Amino acid sequence: MEELKDKSLHLTAEKLAEELQKMDIYNEFYEDLQMLAASQDVSIDDFKKTLVQAVNIGSMETNLRNAVFHWLRSHGNNKQIVVRDEITSRESLDYLRKAQITWERRIQKSLESMCEEIGINLSCLRSSADRDEMLQKWNELSTYNTSLERLRPVYAPKDFLEVLFSLHNPNYRMISDDMIWDFTYLPLKVKTLPELRHHYRDLATADLLLGLTCCQCLTTLSCGSTSQGEQERIALGEKVLQHQHAPVCQEFLKLGAPRSLRGKLWAQILGSSVKTSEQHYSELKQRVLHFDMLIDKLITKDVQLTACNDDQYFVFEDVLHQIMLCFTRDTDVLSVFNNSTSHPILTSLKGKPPIEAIYPPNGIIPFHGFTMYAAPVCYLFNDPVPLYYTFRAFYLRYWFRLHVISSHPQSILGLCILFQRLLQRHETKIWSHFMSHNIHPIRVVFKWIMKGFSGHLLPEQLLNLWDMVIAYDSLEVLPLLAVAILSFRKDNLLQVNTLQNVDSVLVDLSSLNVMSLLQLALKGPIKM
Amino acid sequence: MKITYCTDVDRSVVLSNFEKRGWVHVGPDDDWNFYWAGIQTCRSLFSIDSGYRMHDNQMINHFPNHYELSRKDMLVKNIKRYRRELEREGSPLAKRLDGKYLYLDFIPVTFVLPADYNLFVEEYRKVGPSTWIMKPVGKSQGTGIFLINKLSKLKKWSREGKNNNFNTSTIKESYVISKYIDNPLLIDGKKFDLRLYVLVTSFRPLKAYLFKSGFCRFCTVKYNTSVADIENLLIHLTNVSLQKQGDEYNSIHGGKLSIQNLRLFLESTRGKTVTEALFDNIVWLIVHSLKSVSYIMANDRHCFECYGYDIIIDDNLKPWLIEVNASPSLTSTTANDRILKYKLIDNMLSVVLPPSGIPDVRWNKCPSREAMGNFELLIDEELAAKDKPGPSTKIDLKDRLKRKT
Repeated sequence: MEELKDKSLHLTAEKLAEELQKMDIYNEFYEDLQMLAASQDVSIDDFKKTLVQAVNIGSMETNLRNAVFHWLRSHGNNKQIVVRDEITSRESLDYLRKAQITWERRIQKSLESMCEEIGINLSCLRSSADRDEMLQKWNELSTYNTSLERLRPVYAPKDFLEVLFSLHNPNYRMISDDMIWDFTYLPLKVKTLPELRHHYRDLATADLLLGLTCCQCLTTLSCGSTSQGEQERIALGEKVLQHQHAPVCQEFLKLGAPRSLRGKLWAQILGSSVKTSEQHYSELKQRVLHFDMLIDKLITKDVQLTACNDDQYFVFEDVLHQIMLCFTRDTDVLSVFNNSTSHPILTSLKGKPPIEAIYPPNGIIPFHGFTMYAAPVCYLFNDPVPLYYTFRAFYLRYWFRLHVISSHPQSILGLCILFQRLLQRHETKIWSHFMSHNIHPIRVVFKWIMKGFSGHLLPEQLLNLWDMVIAYDSLEVLPLLAVAILSFRKDNLLQVNTLQNVDSVLVDLSSLNVMSLLQLALKGPIKM
Repeated sequence: MKITYCTDVDRSVVLSNFEKRGWVHVGPDDDWNFYWAGIQTCRSLFSIDSGYRMHDNQMINHFPNHYELSRKDMLVKNIKRYRRELEREGSPLAKRLDGKYLYLDFIPVTFVLPADYNLFVEEYRKVGPSTWIMKPVGKSQGTGIFLINKLSKLKKWSREGKNNNFNTSTIKESYVISKYIDNPLLIDGKKFDLRLYVLVTSFRPLKAYLFKSGFCRFCTVKYNTSVADIENLLIHLTNVSLQKQGDEYNSIHGGKLSIQNLRLFLESTRGKTVTEALFDNIVWLIVHSLKSVSYIMANDRHCFECYGYDIIIDDNLKPWLIEVNASPSLTSTTANDRILKYKLIDNMLSVVLPPSGIPDVRWNKCPSREAMGNFELLIDEELAAKDKPGPSTKIDLKDRLKRKT
């Protein structure tokens, strides 16, 4: 037994060592190690022992531990219970896989017909004049002129919802087509409220939660200076950050982040602060300058339609243009396809012989509102580089699940089903009110969930919510909040009986406090 | 008793608030309780010629000599005088270091032209190449403003405008010239200023409130200090009436960001301590600007006034008082703007009116916490004097000095 354990440990270590070499931090890590080996702390006589000692004392051990933590997180990400072969390990349900493929084809066709309509290529070299203009306006891309008039977003959340509604489970016989929207025919297991309570127990039972009292005071005049509890949290948070242990940061974040530490905490937990990122970012910039793609226009249009018109985010329009364009060129994003059902679009590039290439380079076709995944992060960083990498890390870990068809419990389908179950079981009155007026509950909240509530809550509240996503490493907090909001507005909802009026009851969420709503939902006063 | 109101402004945010309260509209010659007046109307009402005497149940939204605060030249004069007085008294507030006031250095160096022309030239020569901003004292919304960075330009300007000599007193329009804050705090490369609303219900004792929902007004064009762009005012001035004319103006958000979001951004990117210090310094600046005029203002008990404070923050997070408006714009450029201004008026009314809801000069002007709504108390000298442990003691000098050191 001991021997077996030893062996498995050895194997794991070997695997990790192998994986480590593929990671971003490897070069940096290797250099550090070389430096350390050459330093005075390491003696040639007892090389191994002194080297290990030196590694343990310095920050290298922390880096190594964090690397293992991030590796584990990104690989434990998509564990499926039954693994038959490579393809099914990503998606065990045949009909969902097929639906995703059909959806991707539709997107591709739509892109191609858009190109035809406007008369441009999917991608081509940027003319030097255009390149110069873009380079000159790199920091004020909102003034960069490109004709976008005839362009429309490839799809919007509500189009995607229709696709989800059209899913068909061949193993299930519908009694009537009326209930097609409630997804009961999909055999996805989701958490129950008690299970959620267990998962979010720290949040549910916390007495002191940052962000609970939403202090709107401008000055320390009327609300006094920071409460003692908050001060202690900040001091603790600073200490936690000093040690740079990602898992400890994650633990700390479970009770909310002080504003001043949030950016650092996120970067630490998501592993998005890498020394070489500056250089990588400028490579991405070069790639943007080099090629002119349809996707650039689409992403520019999306920034214009969303952030530029949003009174919470308009100030960040230029930096958003910049990072979203870089995002389209970032081939590291392709790693999402390792553990997802979807595939990037392949197009044939002109040339002899024609070659197949992934389009766009990062494989992601933005939908209407995609920019909102990045906009709130702008509040955390003044510099586009850490901003970009934190947004990217967030996307790679969470957001990509919200626009693919998959049976993963964290996917959009899983979250929609979780929402419906929670509502049906714990807010029966709202549920039956909606039923009796033929209102599909999921239509009410789909846009919130698909965009992670971005653009629907005040930035401060949204960041509190995203804290919870990272801290508890789960998107399940989104449907939970959606139910909590409906529950909170119950009295008003029960008085209206069309989808349109329901929407108008819920259009302004600016008065909500996310943390207290979540606590309320978890502590259980959602009554029958 | 039905409350009657009279007004000469046609702003829906004002009128709808009166209607909501069920007040009855009457003409200026009828018996009104509440007059929402423009500055001109107010001036003529208070003038000796009019001979109008208000009774106890009447209220008006301006102080007779608000221009002590709201005229650009008067503000500067009053603050300069206030500092000198404090210095004479030997107050620690007026402490100086290298000639600069330690605690009262919150307005850019400013001179009134033509009167202080020689002083200005002296200062200009002392500081070396620098940019200055010229503003006509009597105008608002950015009209007549321009930047200069050479003395010759100023001379040229004075020649072009018929006035051929600055030293004569024949010039009708005077200007203030201020050292331009050329290192403003930028967000994503754009300049902005703050518009805060300050309600004063009494100058002696001083009672003032700050509205929590102020906002930042952004320029639509990226900031740069290059000399070539010195004439592009879209880069330098944040006035909405000016920015509106730019191509990049967006009518959905109107270039306005809430101050809560500004605070979120600053705390996240710069840290909590410096952000708190910034907002405390803003409060400090407002209180002392009000104190500088508190003995000059005609403290009529019928009056209250809401001032629009324009503040620029530099990149060291130091706030600078740019100017004070006695009748801040109540036009709504966006939907949010409308909600904000409606609320401003609503909260203002509930602060200035006694609990009975009927204007009454005999009331002690101490609104309850609920009545304050979105206003927070800046200072109440009466409460402070009673030595109640109230929030107003926060402004205490001792406290302030302790924090500064």
